[in-house]
Formats: sequence, C-alpha cells, structure tokens
Amino acid sequence: MITVDRLTKTYGAFTAVDDVSFVCQPGRVTGFLGPNGAGKTTTMRVMVGLTLPTRGEVTIGGLRYHDIPNPGRHVGTLLDASAQHVGRTGREILAIAAQTMGLPKTRVDEMLALVGLNDDEAGRRLRNYSLGMKQRLGIAHALLGDPSVLILDEPANGLDPAGIRWMRGLLKGYADRGGTVLLSSHLLHEVEQVADEMILIGRGRIVARGDRESLLAGANGTPVTLVTSLDNTALGAALTHAGHAVEPVGPGLRVQASPEQVGRTALGAGVVLTDLRSGGAGLEDLFLELTSADAREAVAGLAAPTTGGLPA
Amino acid sequence: MNTPLAPTLDVSSTPRTPLSRLVGVEIRKAIDTRAGFWFASSIVGLVLVVLLIYTLAAPDAAKNFGDMLQVAGGVLGYFLPILIIMLVTGEQSQRNGLVTFTLEPQRSRVVAAKFLAGIALAATVMVLAFLIALVFTAVAAATGATPEWSVEGSLLFNGFVLANLIGIFVGFAIAMLLMNTPAGIVAYFVYSLILPIAAGILSALSSGFEKIAPWIEFNTAQTPLFTGDYQPSGEEWAQLVVTGTLWLVVPLVLGTLRLLRIEFK
Repeated sequence: MITVDRLTKTYGAFTAVDDVSFVCQPGRVTGFLGPNGAGKTTTMRVMVGLTLPTRGEVTIGGLRYHDIPNPGRHVGTLLDASAQHVGRTGREILAIAAQTMGLPKTRVDEMLALVGLNDDEAGRRLRNYSLGMKQRLGIAHALLGDPSVLILDEPANGLDPAGIRWMRGLLKGYADRGGTVLLSSHLLHEVEQVADEMILIGRGRIVARGDRESLLAGANGTPVTLVTSLDNTALGAALTHAGHAVEPVGPGLRVQASPEQVGRTALGAGVVLTDLRSGGAGLEDLFLELTSADAREAVAGLAAPTTGGLPA
Repeated sequence: MNTPLAPTLDVSSTPRTPLSRLVGVEIRKAIDTRAGFWFASSIVGLVLVVLLIYTLAAPDAAKNFGDMLQVAGGVLGYFLPILIIMLVTGEQSQRNGLVTFTLEPQRSRVVAAKFLAGIALAATVMVLAFLIALVFTAVAAATGATPEWSVEGSLLFNGFVLANLIGIFVGFAIAMLLMNTPAGIVAYFVYSLILPIAAGILSALSSGFEKIAPWIEFNTAQTPLFTGDYQPSGEEWAQLVVTGTLWLVVPLVLGTLRLLRIEFK
C-alpha cells in the first residue's frame, strides 16, 4: 500500500503539491484525478524518489522508495511512456529492465504478449511507435517485475477505446489479486469505471475523495438522474409537481432526484420509461467544479449544488 | 483474494541489485542503439583506416610498433571520451534517467556502474587497437621495413593507457556537468583541441604565459608524459597535480554532485 503523508513540494514560490495526504489500499484501484498541472505527476514522482519532497513523505508498504532493494520487483512505475531512448526497440527496452531486475529473458516475451505487442512491433524502434503502442510498452515495463504496487501516470493517454477497456480489465484483475493500483488521469470517464476510490486534486490540494457514490452524495444532497420516456412533457410536469428540478437534456430529462424517485413518479403518472440512468453528469459537473480555477473555494463549499452544468 | 495484504512490503526475497549487474546493463546500453553501436565500431574502424594509411605513407624508419601504438592511441584519445559522454548524457537527452533511476534509486551506484562500464568499454577498444597496431607492424615488416618490435613500458602506459584514461575521466566529468550530448561533445573538443592550441599560441606570444601555461592548462601539463623520456620531473608532476585538480577532480566532483541531485523530467 502507498501512504502519502502531508506531502508538500514547492518550486520557488510555486507550490506544486500542498499538504496532500492519502492512502492507497491493497486490492483496490485508486484513481488520482485532476486537471493538467494539478500536482498528480509531482506526487507520483515523489513516490518513486525522482523528486525530493519539500515536506512530508511517501512510504510504500512502510518503506521509503530509496530503501526498497531492487524496487522494480515491488513497485511497477509508468510515469512517461515516451521517456525512453527512441533508438531502442520495444523488446530491447524491456530486456534492459529485465536484466537490471535480474529477471529471466522469457519474462520479456510474456509481457509483450500480455500487452498485445506482436513480434514485428516489438522489433521496431521506439521512434516508430504510436502513442498507444508506447503506452502498452510502458504498461509492460511497469508489470515486468511482477510488482505488488502499480503507479501509473495517465496510462490511458493515447489508447484507443478498445485499449482503454483492455487496460481497465487488466488493472481490475490486478487489484482483485491483491495488488495496489494508483492511476492518474485528467479524464473522469477513464477512471470512474475502474476506480474503487477516487482522489480529486486541484492546484496541488486534494479537493474531494471517496468512491463514486459518496463523492456524489457529499457534493450534492440530491442525486441526478437522466430519464427518457414516451411522454417527456407529462413526466416533466409530474416530476416538477413532486418538487424535483427538471431540465430537458437531449432526447430526455435531467432530474435532481434519485432514479427510484423518478421511477415512482413515472409509475404514478402512468408514463412508460425507455431509459432511466443515475446521472453520470453529476460526477462530471462535480469534477469540473472542484478542479476549476477557484478549486480551493469549492472545497469549503462542497455542499453547493451542481446545477447548470453541461450534460455529459 | 479478499484477505488484505500486510501493509508492509516483504523485501526479503529481493536483494539489492548487484553492482556487476548494473555495470552489465550500462555496457549494454552503450552499444545497443544504432548510434552507440556504430560509434563504438567506428572507433575501431577508424584506428584500422588511420593505421593503414600510416603504414602506406610513413617512412620505413617510423614503422616501429611504438609508432603504431602512438598513432592508434591518438585516434582513441579523440573518440573514446565521446562514447562515455553519450553513455552518461543519454539519461537526460533521451530521458532515459526516468527509468534508470526508478529501477536503481541509489544514484551513486548508477554513477559507479556507468564509470566502470566506460572503463570496460575503453579497455576493450584499447586492446583491439593494440592488436591492430601489432598487425600493421607485421604488415610493415612484410613490406620491407624493419620495425622495432619492443616498446618502452612507460610509452605504452603513459601514451596509450594513461592518456586515454585521463580523456575518459574528463569526458565523464563534462558529461555529468552538462548532461547534454551535443554540448558535452563540443565541450570535450574545446578542451582537447582548442585549449592546447590557444595555450600554444599564447605561449609563443608571451614568455610569461609560457611559464604559467603548464600550471593552468591540463593538456600542456600532460606533455611530459608522452614526450622525451616519458618521466615527468618533480616540477612537472606538481603541474600535473595542479591542473589535474582544476580540470579533472573539480569537474568530476561537481558533476557527480549534479547527477545525484538533478531532477530527471
């Protein structure tokens, strides 16, 4: 598990990470969310000893990264898939890491197969890799030492939708086997389906944390539901009458109520529902609001309702 | 698996990466790219070509084994340090350091490994150059010259081994200080080519500078190692120590400190 304890990193007058504390538990995927420049990468760099903290510390399984012997065997890291010599082939990049960690050569082929890079692709030099291929190679690199902790910075960046789904399954399975996974992203939808817990960071400070439900509940006492029916006008009127805020969105309605409340209202009004969903838009709004330019004010005002956001 | 893992990491099964393995990795990294491989091969190839030309062009009286060695050593002196510079600066220029120093966070061990790898590569190239010099001396003998086969030990050591080792040390120091491949190579050539020429010109113009040059310019101070009886006098040794501190020890210390602290992005 990863323990970040009151971590602060300043560069001159600029505070990249400001008093951040959190814990990533084994067996869970922790999503680290925030806009670009929020301090995610800096926090992850401190975790693996590439950046020295100004204050506070990070331990992995109770040890500072510097004190872990042969750390690649315990902590798999992907900070920047492009940070490799562009003149090396994918296979050679993995082979060097395997040699450093004292792993058998067969491990390289296993990992190439796992991330779906074929022999031809593995033999190409990195400068001829697409971003998605680099990302797959980087994930193979992180998994090479069969670590119990994974630290991945924007791993979905550059992956196609199939690749993102593949990575989700991979990380989920990894956590289910007891591994600790921390993955960062600036895109909510990349993370929310795989993360058991999310940490939202903006301007170097944690602005919210929790699982999907508790984040929504904490942000907004009223959940948001997306509903489409055969008679949206009648349903809208019934919902307004029941005291829920309603606005038209696309082919349906966006209601500040739980799906159950909307369903019951529809039942009472005798309207046939064709689609009823818990509003992902609520989380998206929350994310944008919490991590927007004045994120620090938003922390204190967590209870502020998230109205008027754009539909997802 | 629902049982939560112990919060402490069990590191008993993974001993620290042995230095020998790190050295092996660094040697591999020096020659596993096209640039690295062809550069290392070209050094050997260049020794071959230069000695071939020398054998064809030089007068028979100057085709002794010692002459051949000096020519080969001269070629190595210019290019071996560049191999080392590329090995060190690649971590920053190619952004390799991110991975290198994540897999071995004890940076001083990586520095040591790179240094030993540089020495090992240099030794290999020197041995090859030595063998090539032997072959061309034999060629000279076969084509009518009567070369002297024996070679003075101090020439072999000073002119061939020590000179190249100093070059490698300087290249290593420059590389760590600048952490940029082109800048490192340019700086090395300024140091090894332009500085001695400048010192020579200034010495010719001013007898005052001629006296102090060996005290401030490392190449000038090294001259007694490779000329005359290859035995520097007491004063010459003192000049070597002074300039060596200035041009070798100080940059090496500063460069190492920089590499240990630099934030690899």
